[in-house]
Amino acid sequence: MADSNPVIDIESLSKTFGTRRGTSHLAIADISLKVGDGEFVSILGPSGCGKSTLLYIVGGFEAPSTGAVLVDGKPVAGPGPDRGPVFQEFALFPWKTVLGNVMYGLLEQGVDRGQATDRARELLAMVHLSAYGNFYPKELSGGMKQRVAIARTLAYRPKILLMDEPFGALDAHTRTRLQNDLLDIWERDRKTVMFVTHSVEEAVFLSDRVAVMTRSPGRIKEIIPIDLPRPRKRAELLVNRRYQDYVVEIERLMELPPEEAQAS
Amino acid sequence: MKRIADIPGFPPLMACIGLLVFWDLVARYLAISGLPPAWDALKEVPVILADPEQLLNILSSIRRMVIGFFAALVFAIPVGLLMGRSRAVAAFFNPLLMTIYPVPKAALMPIIMLWLGVGDVSKILVIFLGVSLPVIYHSYQGARAVEQKMLWSAAAMGMGAPARLLRIVLPAALPEIMVGCRTGLVLALITMVTSEMIARQSGVGNILFNSLDLAQYGLVYATILIIGVMGFVLDVLFEKLREAVAGWAQPVHQIAVGSA
Ligand SMILES: Nc1ncnc2c1ncn2[C@@H]1O[C@H](COP(=O)(O)OP(=O)(O)OP(=O)(O)O)[C@@H](O)[C@H]1O
Ligand SMILES: [Mg+2]
Repeated sequence: MADSNPVIDIESLSKTFGTRRGTSHLAIADISLKVGDGEFVSILGPSGCGKSTLLYIVGGFEAPSTGAVLVDGKPVAGPGPDRGPVFQEFALFPWKTVLGNVMYGLLEQGVDRGQATDRARELLAMVHLSAYGNFYPKELSGGMKQRVAIARTLAYRPKILLMDEPFGALDAHTRTRLQNDLLDIWERDRKTVMFVTHSVEEAVFLSDRVAVMTRSPGRIKEIIPIDLPRPRKRAELLVNRRYQDYVVEIERLMELPPEEAQAS
Repeated sequence: MKRIADIPGFPPLMACIGLLVFWDLVARYLAISGLPPAWDALKEVPVILADPEQLLNILSSIRRMVIGFFAALVFAIPVGLLMGRSRAVAAFFNPLLMTIYPVPKAALMPIIMLWLGVGDVSKILVIFLGVSLPVIYHSYQGARAVEQKMLWSAAAMGMGAPARLLRIVLPAALPEIMVGCRTGLVLALITMVTSEMIARQSGVGNILFNSLDLAQYGLVYATILIIGVMGFVLDVLFEKLREAVAGWAQPVHQIAVGSA
């Protein structure tokens, strides 16, 4: 699936950052990855291995040092509404209400106010926040903020979702609920998703494939296809032998090898 | 039950009355020639306000202050925001600002008067300079602190860089900008008076320093009272404005109290 006409085609991507000491620091090295249409791919790896960097380059927020990213065959030159980001920090617009936030991208794209309002309300219903349209971000809990952020991104119908530890700042219970919600939403319109996480269970539960990265400088160590039936139910998966095997296999991959993180 | 201290405006009112009583007693007891009792000063306030010439003086002060203040905002907010988002712009303006910052703006007054005369322009320019610096500084800090991910989210929606400055950086930095404006407002009042002290021609400062020369101390203190009340009223009005445009940035409980 991923090989025929990939939606995202990452070709030997490297990124070098300059440091304050005048040296340069290789964050990711020679990453190649193809993501197929409607595929859900998770990126796992130790902290600092370059997962966010990879996602930001696909988003067009950062430029690669070498290599290229093609989306639908065209090289990425900057951010665009075909790739919707969701960040761990929510990044809501605090001066806008919840409804205003969700409508923002639509108005930006020239959708008229009435239509944008309807669509925004629809999305708020989808993330179970219909009653909170007039609230300001400050007045919401972390989990609610992330729901708003997801609705805000989904509103303008990006073809690709780029999610950087979207549930990383949430408590375990909220996290589980949002994982279920995300899967429900994804089952409905099968967007292409790149999903960065630290949680092996989360990656296995959500993904079609899990890419495990090495320590800094990040390379792709292994890509594991997750062959579990959909739609997935968390309670069923937890007692599923294959699910458990995947988790154990990937945990093992993440542990090895215990080499030192390299700083330059 | 509502406590008496919770009635809005009550504690500051008590503080004012307390201060006036204290002043009155001290002045009467010590009988210093330069310090009239509070009551004598208070009696002069309506005298000043009823005198059309003095009223005109006060109004021309306010007019200069308003012009200088708003001109400063129009200049300082964009400069501060651009400095906050572009290293090149910051590097360009920083040495300039660092040089001007420690100079008391009123001290520039004599030089400015040499160029521009003793009229309105000089005074407005001094007010403008006084207000600009804190507003630039706070706009700069506000713009710098804008979360990168917020800008990226907007960029992903298809918003270009100039639009982001206007529609993301400006509103996101607004609470901080308002802090600068508040400081600017106080400085506008101060530079207004000091500029008139140096270029005496009209204005509140003119009344103040002329009556000082004539040893009319009741009038001097009455003018000080008027300036003080002006500052207080401006501050209250400004707080209302701040709440209207940047109320979203307040902590949750304050919003709840405000709407109760
Ligand atoms: N703007 C930057 N300037 C310099 N170095 C950077 C920058 N952004 C990232 N790096 C470096 O690149 C490497 C990868 O960072 P990145 O944030 O992509 O890691 P990550 O895998 O997302 O980590 P985490 O799991 O902790 O979020 C790190 O060593 C980091 O120090
Ligand atoms: Mg990261």
